[in-house]
Amino acid sequence: MDNLTVVGKPVTRIDADEKVTGEAVYGYDLVLPNMVYGKVLFSPKAHAKIKRINTDKARQYPGVVAVVTGKDAPWIHGESIRDKPFLAQDKVRYIGEPVAAVAAVDEDTAEAAVRLIEVEYEDLPAYTSPEDAARMDAVAIHENFASYRKMPFITPGAGPNVCEHFKLRTGDVEQGFREADVVLEERYSVPIIQHAAMEPHSAHAQVDPTTGRVTIWVANDAPFRALHEITEALDVPKEQVRFINPLQGGGFGSKGGLKVEPVAVALAYKTNGRPVRVKFNREETFISTLTRHGAIVHVKSGVKKNGAITAREMTIYWNGGAYAEKSPTVCIRGSLPAPGPYRIPNVKVDGYAVYTNVPVAGSFRGYGIPQGAWAVEQHTDELARRLGMDPLAFRMQNVFADGDTAYWGEELHSVGLKETLQKAADAIEWGKKIDSMPGSRVKGLKIGKGLACIQKPTRSPTTSSAGVIVNAKGEASVLAGTVEIGQGCNTILCQIAAEELKMPFDKVRSASLDTDVIPYDASTTSSRSTYHMGNAVKGAAIDAREKLAVLAAPMLEAKKEELAFADGKIFLKHQPEMALTVGEVVRRKFGPEGTVRGDASYTYELAKDLDLETGHSDNASAFYMYATQAAVIAVDEETGRARLLRMAAAHDVGKAINPLNCAAQIEGGLAMGIGSALHEHLVIDQNGKVRNPSFLDYHLVTALDLPEMIPIIVECPEPQGPYGAKGLGEPGLAPTPAAIGNAVADAIGARVYDLPLSPERIFWVIQEKKKGKAA
Amino acid sequence: MKKKIQVTLNGKKTELEVPSHRLLLDLLRDEIGLTGTKEGCGTGDCGACTVLLNGKPVNSCLIFSGELDGADIVTIEGLKIGPEMHPVQRAFVQDGGVQCGYCTSGMLMMSKALLDENPDPSEDDIRFAISGNLCRCTGYAKIVKAVQDAARELRNRRS
Ligand code: FES
Ligand code: FES
Repeated sequence: MDNLTVVGKPVTRIDADEKVTGEAVYGYDLVLPNMVYGKVLFSPKAHAKIKRINTDKARQYPGVVAVVTGKDAPWIHGESIRDKPFLAQDKVRYIGEPVAAVAAVDEDTAEAAVRLIEVEYEDLPAYTSPEDAARMDAVAIHENFASYRKMPFITPGAGPNVCEHFKLRTGDVEQGFREADVVLEERYSVPIIQHAAMEPHSAHAQVDPTTGRVTIWVANDAPFRALHEITEALDVPKEQVRFINPLQGGGFGSKGGLKVEPVAVALAYKTNGRPVRVKFNREETFISTLTRHGAIVHVKSGVKKNGAITAREMTIYWNGGAYAEKSPTVCIRGSLPAPGPYRIPNVKVDGYAVYTNVPVAGSFRGYGIPQGAWAVEQHTDELARRLGMDPLAFRMQNVFADGDTAYWGEELHSVGLKETLQKAADAIEWGKKIDSMPGSRVKGLKIGKGLACIQKPTRSPTTSSAGVIVNAKGEASVLAGTVEIGQGCNTILCQIAAEELKMPFDKVRSASLDTDVIPYDASTTSSRSTYHMGNAVKGAAIDAREKLAVLAAPMLEAKKEELAFADGKIFLKHQPEMALTVGEVVRRKFGPEGTVRGDASYTYELAKDLDLETGHSDNASAFYMYATQAAVIAVDEETGRARLLRMAAAHDVGKAINPLNCAAQIEGGLAMGIGSALHEHLVIDQNGKVRNPSFLDYHLVTALDLPEMIPIIVECPEPQGPYGAKGLGEPGLAPTPAAIGNAVADAIGARVYDLPLSPERIFWVIQEKKKGKAA
Repeated sequence: MKKKIQVTLNGKKTELEVPSHRLLLDLLRDEIGLTGTKEGCGTGDCGACTVLLNGKPVNSCLIFSGELDGADIVTIEGLKIGPEMHPVQRAFVQDGGVQCGYCTSGMLMMSKALLDENPDPSEDDIRFAISGNLCRCTGYAKIVKAVQDAARELRNRRS
């Protein structure tokens, strides 16, 4: 039945050649004619009033072209809450906040001049913990919060620093706890980590001195959203700003929103038309871009002896950092499914997104799912243990399946969760005691197995638009606003276009991204691209194909309906030798430089907003992704060191458009998840200072840190998705820490509640357990 | 203070006048315009800037230009063999060893250095060799496989 020729095939990436030869130009590589170089003065204070700024010496420094402070750039931006100045206004709210900037003829000069800027501060109390900052009597980090412009779905909390309070209310949890045989209450925590894309952040900007039009070259993962945010802040029409996307050296969510862009724009207004380049080095990237929300998660559940879950209550504090950025939506989208993919009649969730005086938290691959999963998936194992049930069986009994209604009121379909559970479990030989794994016979090593599963929604409703242009040479280019951040979207979208145009894959390429000419796309986030943009590109290719058929019909002296497409040709169905190449059709009609263009848009229109009081929606997401990961670990009881032996990751992708790329995404996500489980932690001291802003001190996984990884693709098709596809990019790291945490608990017989699972932490848990036994 | 140096860069004799304190990475990227060599940290911790200096892999962000007189430097732009991709480049393409590609230049130079020295590396040898090259995208599995495949291809060519 499946006669697909390109979709579903493991074709190699269309951008690989330029990347292996060094020809690819990334944002960090970009050189513009006559450009000047920007450097930023960052706040050394976590929370302070700015009493005075003196820029005289910097302005007089030879080679300086412009110096800007908040006074020169009186603009405020923000996606869901407009709270963030381009450069600090009157006060600073975290160490690393841009306070002033210099543009000069070269980098050294800019660096020297920026050091000459004098700022006098008056300290204010600073918060690093969201639980502290959320208190009613806390000092407000944003005094004027009430007057900020906010999106309609924002529901601020009672305390002055709670910028969003998400509520989910289903059934009666108190009643549920009364019905339970076992009630368990626990507290988990997840530290702040950083995306650490290998390409640091940068932005280039230029303001046309005649028209005032602003051009921004930046590897932003959502150029249309950034364009909206910046034009809203500058109060100029959309046409006045243009985003051009050079290649992006990884993002994982860090390159959305506005980070370096505002500084570059503020400077560009003062350089008389010369383009400005602002590059953050690695340390600056660590302290002044975006992080992943640290979270404190309280979870309480009731279960019956037969394994039924009667109630779950959760309170989650999301550490938003100094500005809202994506915190409200991470809080909403992360708190909603935090209770896990389980049938629970009584559920209550309170999610608080809280301002603190630490670097700004933004979107991060997984968008709030990993934090909830770290808590709930370990909690699930603890519940199973108390009931004397096998954790896999306990999950199988309770997880969502087709036709179930989720606790937010939506009937679910295309749920591949059980299959992922089974396959991940099988891949680590669940239930079989291990003594044959490498390393397991070493004295003092305890082997454990664990698994964890997740369900993840996607941002809904959103729109993607696309164009497909076919030329007289028989080549096609895909015009799509999805950003190639390494995930392989350009390859996927070209596969879809080639499939629908019935053209050879190597004749289809992606156009580069420029908001002046590329149709709208909401964002490259939320694992939404294959589904949304895939549908748009599919539609655009079909539109182009229809137009080609109309043109070809008279040339082939046939009716349009009698034509078929294959292998770059249009021919008569019943007389295949009567054929023209696609290029020939275009050429005959429009000449050798002619083109035919198809267009389409896709919006998931059925999505309904969550009710602000109950969190309910009977259609909260265009689709859901499901995954289970399973870990085998060896723990050295002497040192607390945990070594992963094997990890399996089974992901329901709906349909693998490119299995090679799917496996690559799963492996990459898994590695990131393993890093976040065992090593990663952006250490911020009580004064709000990042203590490890370098790769020497912030431990990313290396090739030596990883176990055998088994990616498993599960295909439970989504009827609305292109060819049945869902999404995949984000879930790869979401269940990983919990799966590993459960394996550690299985190995040592005690649980670790805080990430990362460092040797020290595991060691002390082992000591505690021994003490408990001795007592 | 500028200094005149003579180097062989990707097989070509090249004369340069550079400030002695200019780092090789900046010399390549900013003064010569070879941006294939990447900067990930600038402090010797990520390997994105790896080039071959007299045949040995080095972090170019740690090398001062003043020390380079007479040096032989190969960057990613010099890895091709004539118009042909080096087998390790082709293997990275075929095996899916490239995602965002930002670590790729450094990975490739390090892999080439390994294969020059050890034509038949074990998986552990490969993982050890690239352990100073950070990749945030791939999880390294496909990179390791690509290096294995390139090694096989190179051995086949030799025999
Ligand atoms: S840039 Fe040289 S090691 Fe990172
Ligand atoms: S491919 Fe992106 S860092 Fe390696």
